[in-house]
Amino acid sequence: MNLRARNNLIGWSFIVIAVIMICLFYFYPMIQALILSFQSGTGTNLTFVGFGNYQRLFSDTTFLTTLGNTFLFLIIQVPIMILLAIFISVLLNDKNLKLKGFFRTAIFLPAVTSLVAYSVIFKYLFGPEGLVNLFLLKLNFISDPIQWLSDPLWAKVTIIIAITWRWTGYNMIFYLSALQNIDNSIYEAARIDGASSFRQFTNITIPLLKPIILFTSITSTIGTLQLFDEVMNITKGGPGNSTMTMSQYIYNLSFRYTPDFGYAATVSYAIVILIVIFSVLQFKLAGDKK
Amino acid sequence: MNKLKRALIYLFLSVAAFISIAPFLWMIVSSTNRSVDVTQGKLLPGPYLGENLTKVMDNVDLVPALLNSAKISITTTLLSLLIASLAGYGFEVFRSKAKDRVFGILLLSMMIPFAAIMVPLFRMFGSISQWLPFIGIDTITSAILPTVTTAFLIFFFRQSTKMFPKDMLEAGRIDGLSELGIYFRIFVPTMKTSYAAAAIITFMSSWNNYLWPLVVLQSPEKRTIPLLISNLGSSYSPDYGLIMTVILIATLPTAIVFFVMQKHFVAGMTGSVK
Amino acid sequence: MKKMLALLLASMVLLSACSSAATNKTGNESETNGDGKEKITIWAWDPKFNIAALNIAKDAYKAENPNLTVDIIENAQNDIVQKLNTGMSSGTTKGLPNIVLIEDYRAQSFLQAYPDSFFPVTDYIQTSEFADYKLGPTSFEGKNYGVPFDSGVTGLYVRTDYLEQAGYTPADMQDINWDQFIEIGKKVKEATGKDWLTMDPTDLGILRIMIQSAGSWYLKEDGRTANLQDNPVLKEAFETYKKIVDANIARTHSDWSQMVANFNNGSTAAVVSGNWFTPSIMAATDQAGKWAIVPLPKLTNNANSIHASSLGGSSWYVLNVPGKEAAAEFLGKTFGANADMYQKLVADVGAIGSFKPAAEGEGYKAPNEFFGGQHIVSDFAKWTAEIPKVNYGLHTYAIEDTILVVEMQNYLNGKNIDQVLSDAQKQADAQIK
Repeated sequence: MNLRARNNLIGWSFIVIAVIMICLFYFYPMIQALILSFQSGTGTNLTFVGFGNYQRLFSDTTFLTTLGNTFLFLIIQVPIMILLAIFISVLLNDKNLKLKGFFRTAIFLPAVTSLVAYSVIFKYLFGPEGLVNLFLLKLNFISDPIQWLSDPLWAKVTIIIAITWRWTGYNMIFYLSALQNIDNSIYEAARIDGASSFRQFTNITIPLLKPIILFTSITSTIGTLQLFDEVMNITKGGPGNSTMTMSQYIYNLSFRYTPDFGYAATVSYAIVILIVIFSVLQFKLAGDKK
Repeated sequence: MNKLKRALIYLFLSVAAFISIAPFLWMIVSSTNRSVDVTQGKLLPGPYLGENLTKVMDNVDLVPALLNSAKISITTTLLSLLIASLAGYGFEVFRSKAKDRVFGILLLSMMIPFAAIMVPLFRMFGSISQWLPFIGIDTITSAILPTVTTAFLIFFFRQSTKMFPKDMLEAGRIDGLSELGIYFRIFVPTMKTSYAAAAIITFMSSWNNYLWPLVVLQSPEKRTIPLLISNLGSSYSPDYGLIMTVILIATLPTAIVFFVMQKHFVAGMTGSVK
Repeated sequence: MKKMLALLLASMVLLSACSSAATNKTGNESETNGDGKEKITIWAWDPKFNIAALNIAKDAYKAENPNLTVDIIENAQNDIVQKLNTGMSSGTTKGLPNIVLIEDYRAQSFLQAYPDSFFPVTDYIQTSEFADYKLGPTSFEGKNYGVPFDSGVTGLYVRTDYLEQAGYTPADMQDINWDQFIEIGKKVKEATGKDWLTMDPTDLGILRIMIQSAGSWYLKEDGRTANLQDNPVLKEAFETYKKIVDANIARTHSDWSQMVANFNNGSTAAVVSGNWFTPSIMAATDQAGKWAIVPLPKLTNNANSIHASSLGGSSWYVLNVPGKEAAAEFLGKTFGANADMYQKLVADVGAIGSFKPAAEGEGYKAPNEFFGGQHIVSDFAKWTAEIPKVNYGLHTYAIEDTILVVEMQNYLNGKNIDQVLSDAQKQADAQIK
């Protein structure tokens, strides 16, 4: 055996466990789900229906609503969060900033809480007589309490606030780390050339952060398309279907109402296809070969 | 002008920090109050922390749940780091076209929503139960195995390996170390910060994992912390002072892990995003 | 390479060592030990209500059969629903309990989705001894699978002191309809400034109460076809709901605890709910003597509507796993036969069952001082016997959560009622298979 072939073999042995585990716990169940997606019925009484489930998908108003909600969260929440995370990380990257460690720790803190815990807390804060309303009323921003959880529009806002609260600090860490890799002399040079901080931000920081922005927006997109825990625990998808996401619809089809696992599997394939399309799109938009 | 800008920056950061911390403060305050005070929105600390703690100890199986969560999270973290860093290292150091293709396929698994594979996974563990009862349904092992390997972590370690100096590899080979020896004696110690960052992320998500343990762990003595909390809130007459106290205790381990490893965390992330 | 394998093996050993210590016991296997002792496992969800009731049953059964160990496990209701679905659909009964509590609204969906997973209890109880309306949800294809537990019978809880300020007494409310109910609410709000009701826009429990009081439901008799369009009862219930909202006498809550708080801090005067709500009202000890429970209002324009309905009752089911006979025996001898035990249930837990012979006992006749000496249990028992029987079918929550809640909002915002119901029907027909 020559050296190259030997090295190649050693290389495979390094990755073989991971490959087996992922095939076993992700791909194999996904194939099972594919088979399921051609069947329909309640519980264990499944019959083969061909593409029936896929046709049903397009006339199912609940599915279309969840699709719309998920997109809304995606289009509004992901950009807000990423901009906010970049902005904060740029502020924190300032060498002369005092209390840097405190700010960084504080803003990252939401990411360590368990979802079950933070949803309990958010349900309180955003209740009709919760602290948020109390605060806004005291400051005279509003004259009547906002129905944060029971009005269809405000419930969406609440979910967006909740996700942003929890994940901004997490994404910030990625940007902060990347910023520390940027050589400070680039900024020095820009300053000597008389570039404003805004120009420095758009012309130096953003381009240098591009790979990270791509990375975080893909992971955030995946996260949002799979959004489940927050919605499940804070609004249960309500009021009505106004905050229900696709993942939660799958869960409801399988575990909350009379179970139809076949159709649930069909919905999950719809999500997978969407995620693939989106990731490809983001790569294309970023125009990056990497 | 410059001073104003400074002041604005501090103001903005303070508001952001306050918004991030406020719910925690409220949680801490609530753990010192009675249920009635919590539902009526009391904002000042009360004298009931001791009472709440006693109630937790008397009525809630907190210690077993903490132990279960610890067992699961620590094992998951150790195995995850080992498997993912081996793979990330393998993909980068022994790069080949075929491996890159495999890597791409593995990344696809990030896109599978967990709700989609939950039922097939459960069935799989159901049939394993017949002949390997120690990894079947309702075992700690079954709660660990499916979450151990994530494409995200493999990706993370591959990125980190990119900044690992290649000449150190060569030096190791010249010293006559085996490939595995190089990995354990040179790579692992050098990449401490990356491991710290990965450990924090994995530990946190494992500690907070809800859906899979909920499905696969059936008997109450195997309950993890998130399952315990969700159970407490489901009574017709929940005791909120007690619930807040439990949540507070449950959040401590992840907070501690984060505070202890914080410095390495940022440094480790820096390595991976270069 | 060898080292890596060794490492892997070592970690696997470590892993199984960590867990195997605790793996020997599983939920369902009723283990028969050498001394003839048997063990069964039961799942329920509320430590102060159904679990407390189970503990009483367990003690009562000790006298009958000291050899049976009963293991009671608390799980959240949603978790139980999910665990049952996962377990039964995977075909592995491992980890499932012997007896499980299921809400009546959901019962048919389980019985029909997993017919082989349940064990009929027809031979262990006298079905005629239970309130008639409980037998629909608990049986399937002529066999009875559930032992009825709490009745879920509804009543109208009111603050008598607020009523008095508006010039009413509980006696005025013994035979009222929903229109009168709203009028009284307006007067009370005028006189006291307190809200009459508190409502959660995402929970249409009050709608369910109204329609069952007239013997109607979201689904037709077959339990599968939606019964929304041209359903006069549902239409009137919708209209009544809107009248309540438009009268501006209800505040909103979005969480159970907020609802309870609205009563305990005195800001709400009345609630229509199931009898299991009694302990929450009684939690505010400073309000003792200020509450009364009067019969449910009936629909104003529907001759079939009566003063009795049900909300959220549940029943016990035996799973088809080893130990099922012992489990069915346990239920049959306790919840299915022991009228004395029901007296204790009422006195200690406040749980009112649907076992008719129990109503004759002393516990049912006792007055309750918190409610001004009213004989609340015998009142509830009387109403229980009158509750109309309906088929909750397979899709109660699916229709309510995903369709009716949305359409109710549209209706409140001005959409025509017939349009609302026909749109809801269309959606339901498309969605429910």
